[in-house]
Amino acid sequence: MSNEQIPASLRELLADIFEMAPEQITPELNMAVVENWDSFRHLQVILAIEGEYGVQFDPQRIPDLSSVALLLEELQKKGAAL
Amino acid sequence: MQSDSERLELRRCMKDAVVRQDAAAVVDYGRQLLASSGKPANVMFCASTFAALTESLNSQLGARSLKTYVVRSVTVEPLIPYLTTEAVLSNIILDLQVGGYGSYVDELLNSASALAVFHPDLVLIILDQEEIAGRLPELCADGIGAEVGQEIDECVARMAQLLHSYRLGNSARILLQGLVVPDCTSLGDVGDANLANSLPNSIQRLNQHLAALCATISDCVFFDVDRLAARHGRVNWCDARMYLASRLPVSAQFFREYSRGLVRSFSTLFRASRKVLCTDLDNTLWGGILGEDGPEGIATGSAFPGNCYLEYQKYLKQLSARGILLAIVSKNNEADVREAFSLRSADLALSLDSFVALKISWNEKADSIRELAQELSLGLDSFVFVDDNPVECAAIRQQLPEVVVVEAPVLEPWKLVEVLSQQPFFDAAVVTDDDVNRVKEYKAQVQRAELAGSVNSRDEFLASLGIVCTFQSALLAPLARAVQLLAKTNQFNLTTRRRSAAEVEEFASAEGGQAVVVRVRDRFGDAGVVGLALARNLGDACVIDSLLLSCRVIGRGIETALLAYLGDQALRTGATRLVGEFIASKKNTPCANFYSEHGFTEMISSQETISDSLFYELDLTASKLMTPKWISVEGN
Repeated sequence: MSNEQIPASLRELLADIFEMAPEQITPELNMAVVENWDSFRHLQVILAIEGEYGVQFDPQRIPDLSSVALLLEELQKKGAAL
Repeated sequence: MQSDSERLELRRCMKDAVVRQDAAAVVDYGRQLLASSGKPANVMFCASTFAALTESLNSQLGARSLKTYVVRSVTVEPLIPYLTTEAVLSNIILDLQVGGYGSYVDELLNSASALAVFHPDLVLIILDQEEIAGRLPELCADGIGAEVGQEIDECVARMAQLLHSYRLGNSARILLQGLVVPDCTSLGDVGDANLANSLPNSIQRLNQHLAALCATISDCVFFDVDRLAARHGRVNWCDARMYLASRLPVSAQFFREYSRGLVRSFSTLFRASRKVLCTDLDNTLWGGILGEDGPEGIATGSAFPGNCYLEYQKYLKQLSARGILLAIVSKNNEADVREAFSLRSADLALSLDSFVALKISWNEKADSIRELAQELSLGLDSFVFVDDNPVECAAIRQQLPEVVVVEAPVLEPWKLVEVLSQQPFFDAAVVTDDDVNRVKEYKAQVQRAELAGSVNSRDEFLASLGIVCTFQSALLAPLARAVQLLAKTNQFNLTTRRRSAAEVEEFASAEGGQAVVVRVRDRFGDAGVVGLALARNLGDACVIDSLLLSCRVIGRGIETALLAYLGDQALRTGATRLVGEFIASKKNTPCANFYSEHGFTEMISSQETISDSLFYELDLTASKLMTPKWISVEGN
């Protein structure tokens, strides 16, 4: 997966939450490498994505969605209009 | 719905304004962005943009920074960007620290806790039902709830102990969040409604008790989160999935409403509410245009659409009942307006008497409001202006930026009350008798100011006021008021001695002693007890220990009447001289020449003493002190 596959809206949303530049948002980015992506921030990300794209994640899946690529994949599975 | 290009454009404007460090523009664009859509991305964008702008918000907009500690038992972290964003829209910068889930008891009780060490300006206490009233669901379940009352009392007592204990050692303002009334229980809707001790009924009672508790603690406000839940729908208020999985108390779709309500609630702890509402008439207070439609043609009264305006009038009347001053600011002929109020009085909820001032002319409205601010001695930041005309609204916004402008929705007049009530500017967690009486007192002040402008000489003006002074022993009037005057009066206070209640009683009861208060009223109103004198006889002299007058009534001859009264009393108790004392302070120059202006001569010996006192004397057998002829005197 390349950077271009991340929709601009998701890239900007994540950049605002992680306080990073949009260009820094790559598919490989994950909880282990982003310093402030802790469990609280993760909940913030999940809620923001749910609200932004009108989807609901299964709470049991939420902890596993720990990288940008996994989030995007789950969003696509839910049929979100990206 | 907001188009993507619009959103991108607003974001770009915000970024440009950040580069220019133009804080007002950033906030304004942010407001527009959020108004068109409160989707998470917009909020996150605003939160991160505002966070980078803290210093400019402080320096350019005077935004207030509040160190805020969240005492909680639930997950609040995802709410933080929403809270900080809403706060900035209210000109507040939240510097937030969140406490641990289970540590709220320790935080509030322990003087070395993380909370105490943080020294916050504000503490938000956000606990859920499990923490505040964990046993209630079980005790309510049988439908009888024999122990419910006792349990509620215990819950409140526990909370009282936490709050009192924290308050003892800390001055931070406190917000205590109430509980959300559950939407359904095992008793079902019918049982919940009819059984006095159902869980919903019990939680409602508990909320009322918690609110009453907050009222007993200084600088503490109760945040009724249930009111918000009810307004937006209790069914969806909490997302069970996220509450059970992550202890999130509010569904993410209501983060903005929740945050706005919370900010609104604690804001009352930091700023005074506005005091004056200036309303336009045509298409605002009534429908139509008086000058064109005539008094019979304007819409007001019980039939639609007149009833929309009647609702607005009733709302204003209610504001007035708790001390919000109403004024008319309208471009009209005053005679036409008077005719309309008289002909249509049955269809209007307000009469001209309901307003403290009428600014009905063809002058610029900004000038009228400025004038009014002066007459009322209030800052422009106490004013709210309601008008349907966008041009008038824009003019006020531009010329008087301190004034809050509310644009009346001219095509949807039924919305005006809602628009007004959504605004926080009249919010008050406490209403005092003084607030309620304010309307009368300000009305009198405006009338005096108007009269002063219409008569020629000072004497004529004073005579037209119809001033009545009533002299009483300080023991008969509320003694607390006398002591309050002694403690607070600075300008017209000859010796500035802060006598206590016991000392006042001593003067009153001593042989040849006097403790006199003066009450003043005039044709516009009763100013109450506004002056006081303490004196006692020493040999043939009556020595005035204290003489003071509230600055509200200086310059009307009341001080002279008070002195004349003391002179009469002195003669009656066998004294033949009146001795006055003056001690200069930083603030009492207005009365420095008081005794010499009343024919007293300075006593030579007074200059030899080491004290700061100057003494003056008057021979009561040779000269008589006269009460000004425009004052009538009551009492003995």
